[in-house]
Amino acid sequence: MNSLDFSILVQAWPYLWSGLLFSLALTVAAFVVGMLLGTCFALVQHFELPVVSQIVRSYIALIRSIPLILVLFWFFFLVPIVLGHLYGNGRPIPIGATWTAFITFGLFEAAYYSEIIRVGLRAVNKGQFEACQALALSTFDTYRCVILPQVIRVASPIILSQTIILFQDTSLVYVLSLTDLLGAASKLAQLNGRLVEMYLVVAMVYLAISSAASQCVASLRRRYALGGAHR
Amino acid sequence: MRQQGAVSPSDGTSAIVVVEKLMKRFGRFTALNDVNLTVAKGEKIVLCGPSGSGKSTLIRCINHIEKHDGGRIVVDGVELMDRMADINSVRCEVGMVFQSFNLFPHLSVVENCMLAPMKVRGLSRAEAHERAMGLLRKVRIDGQADKYPAQLSGGQQQRVAIARALCMQPKIMLFDEPTSALDPEMVKEVLDTMVQLAGEGMTMVCVTHEMGFAREVADRVVFMDQGSIVEEGEPASFFRAPRTERARGFLNQIIH
Repeated sequence: MNSLDFSILVQAWPYLWSGLLFSLALTVAAFVVGMLLGTCFALVQHFELPVVSQIVRSYIALIRSIPLILVLFWFFFLVPIVLGHLYGNGRPIPIGATWTAFITFGLFEAAYYSEIIRVGLRAVNKGQFEACQALALSTFDTYRCVILPQVIRVASPIILSQTIILFQDTSLVYVLSLTDLLGAASKLAQLNGRLVEMYLVVAMVYLAISSAASQCVASLRRRYALGGAHR
Repeated sequence: MRQQGAVSPSDGTSAIVVVEKLMKRFGRFTALNDVNLTVAKGEKIVLCGPSGSGKSTLIRCINHIEKHDGGRIVVDGVELMDRMADINSVRCEVGMVFQSFNLFPHLSVVENCMLAPMKVRGLSRAEAHERAMGLLRKVRIDGQADKYPAQLSGGQQQRVAIARALCMQPKIMLFDEPTSALDPEMVKEVLDTMVQLAGEGMTMVCVTHEMGFAREVADRVVFMDQGSIVEEGEPASFFRAPRTERARGFLNQIIH
């Protein structure tokens, strides 16, 4: 182990690449589902809709108090049983590891994004709502055109860090025997014995992607700084 | 529904706002107590009084940003009740300018003016843009149309807010202390815009402490204290010889 040999990368790369693609696909899907659902959850609480908002609040509290890895297990074992009872003779209907991962991550992230957006909604100046009322804007247009764009802008750094955490958390899919970037690297490392090289390379890839994402948001913020969220 | 405006006010037929026996409470605090006010079409009214006297609350009730607890408000023939359709049809006819401008920070100046005409009045982008530029020109700020609110001075922002309200082509304009948040050197540019608007025959209800403006523009000065209208009259007589002790005390304090 006294000399590093990165030449094994050449043959390892296709497998790592497929693992990376899976991580990215899962991140993007969980981000989209999580943000859409999370925004709905936040709005339900913001409007204090009776019953629904209590349900949403308990859901978020529950999800946030349980490790992601446990939620993955739950979904993997419980959802087939539930589906079996709903649509069949009680025999579990397996939904497969990939579906489990996508559904679980989407639902899990929704709880976190919703908390971010809920706080963002509270931070919007009351005057913004009053200006919308005075202009006779509908509630829908008020939120879509005025309030939510401001919330997203204020909250973008926190949304980004949550998304980076999400990207790193995708490595937990190993419990479902799915292969993400880290999973691919560790499987290869066990085969070729080049642990240090493999783990160094994946670390660099994680670093590169996460810092590129940070840069991207920083430049977005600079672009919007003029129309910034603060008066 | 429309003809409910036939609840004709005491004096004229052309009343556009009728407020009768208005009550408003915040918890135990009575903000408005038995307020009666009629605004005729084209009339300019200045509301003044010490802070907490209910003048802002009164105009915020007129477009239902505050919900009143008793009495009635009829705007342009529509009585403000809980029905959203009525509330929105009233809000379309009533423009409002706030003390803190409340421009939308993520939209450019011209987009601020275009949003509601497109979403509420159903104008096309081109029509809304044309109308917005016309009104921005009127408040002499069309050169800044593509800037964001944060890039403008307070006076400029307030003039944009006036243009934004005018883009809905309201019949009445409400001003809630439009110059109170401004640096002194910017007060005049906003007041000039308001004077110009008054000259064009707009119906205006202004909460302001700018007594020069009141003298120049107002048809009637309404003095409020502790949630009630204490005295009202033409500006000349109100300023020269207020009838009530409370108005006299108030004027002494603000004129030094």
